[in-house]
This record gives sequence, structure tokens and C-alpha cells, in this order.
Amino acid sequence: MPLDVPAIRAQFPIFKRQINGNRLVFLDSAASSQKPQPVIDAMVQIWSNSYANVHRGLYSLAEEATEAYEGARVKVANFINAADPAEIINVRNATEGINLLAYTWGDQNVQAGDRIVVTELEHHANLVPWQQLAKRKGAELAYIPVTDDGLLDMEALPQLLEDGRTKIVACSVMSNVLGTVPPVTKVAEMAHDAGAIVLMDAAQAVPHRLVDVQALGADFLVFSGHKMCGPGVGVLWGRRHLLEAMPPFLFGGDMILRVKRQESKWNELPHKFEAGTPPIAEVVGLGAAVDFLTEIGMDVIHEHEQEIVAYALERLSELPTLRILGPGPTLRGGVVSFWMADAHPHDIAAILNEDGVCVRAGHHCAQPLHDRFGIPASARASFYIYNDKDDVDALMSALHKVVRLLGRR
Amino acid sequence: MSQDLYREQLLDHYHNPDNYGVLENPDVDIEADNPTCGDQIHLTARLDVEGKISEVMFEGQGCVVSMAASSMFTGEVIGKTPDEIASMGLADIQEMMGGVKLSMGRVKCALLSLNAMKQGLQDAGKM
Repeated sequence: MPLDVPAIRAQFPIFKRQINGNRLVFLDSAASSQKPQPVIDAMVQIWSNSYANVHRGLYSLAEEATEAYEGARVKVANFINAADPAEIINVRNATEGINLLAYTWGDQNVQAGDRIVVTELEHHANLVPWQQLAKRKGAELAYIPVTDDGLLDMEALPQLLEDGRTKIVACSVMSNVLGTVPPVTKVAEMAHDAGAIVLMDAAQAVPHRLVDVQALGADFLVFSGHKMCGPGVGVLWGRRHLLEAMPPFLFGGDMILRVKRQESKWNELPHKFEAGTPPIAEVVGLGAAVDFLTEIGMDVIHEHEQEIVAYALERLSELPTLRILGPGPTLRGGVVSFWMADAHPHDIAAILNEDGVCVRAGHHCAQPLHDRFGIPASARASFYIYNDKDDVDALMSALHKVVRLLGRR
Repeated sequence: MSQDLYREQLLDHYHNPDNYGVLENPDVDIEADNPTCGDQIHLTARLDVEGKISEVMFEGQGCVVSMAASSMFTGEVIGKTPDEIASMGLADIQEMMGGVKLSMGRVKCALLSLNAMKQGLQDAGKM
């Protein structure tokens, strides 16, 4: 069943807004998505009716809040097919999840002379924490290269694994710039055969397609709620035995079992990694976002975006001075970054804004990837459930305006 | 409004910048970039016997704001002393650009050449 986009848009209050007298054409969901009424309502509801701090209270409000908070954890666990809700760690965002890993698992398991493998298409979030861990430890940071058409060069992986020095492979499930969907299951298989573990950065995947941590073969996986119709909260999922072996990241309340004057004992999972008062309403909002997306159906969402991205690639190729980064529609998700010979991405974004079209311009937190393609920056349109082909048409007519204004004279 | 940004005067400077190129044997020679957007300029300048800016050229790539501002800047600073340049700020650049309103995201683009000149004068021991 195709997605009923007008019905979806009607659930997002922001689409009542106009930008410069035009309807809002929001093509920047890869950075952060808009929020539907049910998610907003869920947060208002807990603040208005059931708010108290979680876990310790013995009164009704505290129990209700705890139930809502822990209930959201169960929803998230089911959503990504985690074996156990205790493997779901609530963090600030995917970035914090990766930092948590680098500082705990990384400090414990990566030593001088070891290798950390990332890919050339990583977001800075899945790159800088590993780069800095490598520096702290005297370890090597190696990159799986990206081919000219924006795919992972899988032929380079065996030689990064064969000497057994690689401890972890950190790989995106979908590139936030190229839209590339790397063969992460294959990466995980090869890494495991070589004795390495695998972290998957699924910030661009969980909002848009069915992500099953068991089927993917991940050891750790991170994503952000705000890119999937939810509020600003993130999730780190990890396999229980790995999480249990790791030291805590942040110390304080709720993460302890017992505190003596000179010693402490850590709480069990997931609380060991959730020091202090958590973002209660945000986690509840994420649970509502999971419900919202599940009701639409992740397969329906994926199919819808595939259709739009194919249409966008076709229409964008009408402009002779426009160069599209990344692979064809079957190998990418709903993200298209492009570059125009005569127009800087910032100018593209500013001119598009006049028509109410919101795109991102810059390096999208992927500078090494832009270096790889020899460009300083690009413009990016990304698609989600509330986008349709009419948005691509609006993008195109605004891009024609860019060509008129800035094209070589 | 951004319409303001893409008016003819600024687009003219963008498409046909003034003083585009590199001076030989300059007193000031600096490359500067705006890492968040990827604007890059190479700015060269000479000072006369009184220590005032006598010639400026720039080369680079970037958005309309950074390129048009740089082009206009190469004319604006002729005859100014390093002290006068040190006291210039965003308001002067906006005025130079015809009173254009800049959003927060574009301020760095507009200031690229001014900041490069300040740094270049300092590096050359002139400020």
C-alpha cells in the first residue's frame, strides 16, 4: 500500500507554516526530522499528567513516569529486534553513544599497535571519537576507501583484517551524504571472522528502513531519536555480554548499586550507563515516534523514499551543471547531495529558501568524504515520510532559479 | 531577506570580481578559509611609504557573499592604515555591501577578507 502523504503531512503541525509566502518544502530530514502531533502529545502528556523522576519514587506519579520511561525502552528494543530491553542505553544522541563506546570499550580493548577500521564515508560522529582513541592509545586508524561512484571498496577490507590487529570496525549503515547503503552485513561477517567487533552507525537507517540488529550482525549500533520524528535523545544498543564487560562511562546517581566512602559497585544494565536523571519526556517521545513509524510500516516508508529518490535523481540530471554525488537509486537511501559548477552550496540553499525549500549546505559533518571527491562542500536534499514528488518539483524549479541567477554569464 | 543578497550589484562583483589575482612581492600575503562552508581566499597587498594600503588583490573560491565582499573590500581598503583596518568590523563590511542584511550563517563569509587582511598585517609585523 502506498504512503498517503497528504494524511501524513496533516499530522505534522509545522506544515501549516509558510516560508516567504510559500508552502514549506522540507528536504533536510537527514539533519533532523519534523515532529508529528502524537510525539508532541506524548511529551506534553507526561509533563502535564505523569511527571516525576524515574526509578526511585514510591508514589503514583513516579511509578507512572517510570512505567512510561521503561515502556519506551521496550518499544525501542522491539523496534530494532534487540534480545533484551536492558541492551538499550538511552544517551543524548548517536554521537554520545559512539563516544561512550570509544571511552569505555575502546579504552579497555584497544592498545598500542592495534587497528581501528572506519570508512571514508563516515559522519564525523563515527570518525573523530575513533581518531582520538587511536591517538590516545597509539593505535592505527585505517579507512575502507570509497569508490568514484560512492560505494565502499570492499576489496580493500581483507587486507585491513588479515593480520588480526583490527579490534573494531565502525561503519555507517547509510551515508548521510552519498545515501550509500554499504553491505554492512558482509562487513560484520568479515570482521567477526578476523576477531574484530562491529559498531554500526544507523542514524540514517533506523528512521527510514527496517533495522534488525540480529540480521545485520552488529555488536553495537547507535541512532538518534530526533531524525526519526522523535525528540533529542539517542540510543546505544549493544550485546549484553559486551556491555556487561565494559566499565561505566559517566558516574553518579542511578548508575550505582552501592556507594561506600572509597568504593562503589555498579548498577545492572542498562542503568550502569545512565547516570543522573535521564531525559524522561524525550525517551517517552521516542517511544511514541517508534509507535508512529511502526503504524505506517518501515517497509512502506522505505519503498516510498526509494520512489522519491529515483524521481529526484532523474529530475536533477536535467540540469547540465549539476553533479550528483553517490550511487544510483537502487544502492542508496533517500539522500541526494549535489554540487553545481557555478553556485556555492550556501548560495543554493539561500536561494532555495526564498521558495520555501529547505536543503542543507556544507560538508554535512563529512569533511574527509568531501576531500575524497575534491569539493569543499555540497548541497543536500533528503527525503522522509512527509515528502512527495511535488517537493522534488519545487526543488527543481528553485534550482532553475539558481542557474538563472548564478550561472556563468 | 536573502533576495537582497542576490541583487545585481553583488552578483556583478561575484561574476566579475575587481582586483582578482595575486600581487608579486607583496607586503601582505595570506591564505584564509572558512572551514564551515569551504570559502577560500588568497589575499595579497602592498603598503606605500606612509604605511597605507596601496594595492590589494585576491583570488579564491566561495559563495556570493564571500566573493563579492572580497571584491569590494579590495577597493574599500585602499589608502587605509593598518590601525584603521584594525578598527573595522562587521558594520563596516555590511555598509560597504550596500547595507545588506546578513544572516548569522553568512557573517563569516562576509568577514573572510577583512579578517584575512588583519591577520596578514599582523603576520607581516605591520599591525
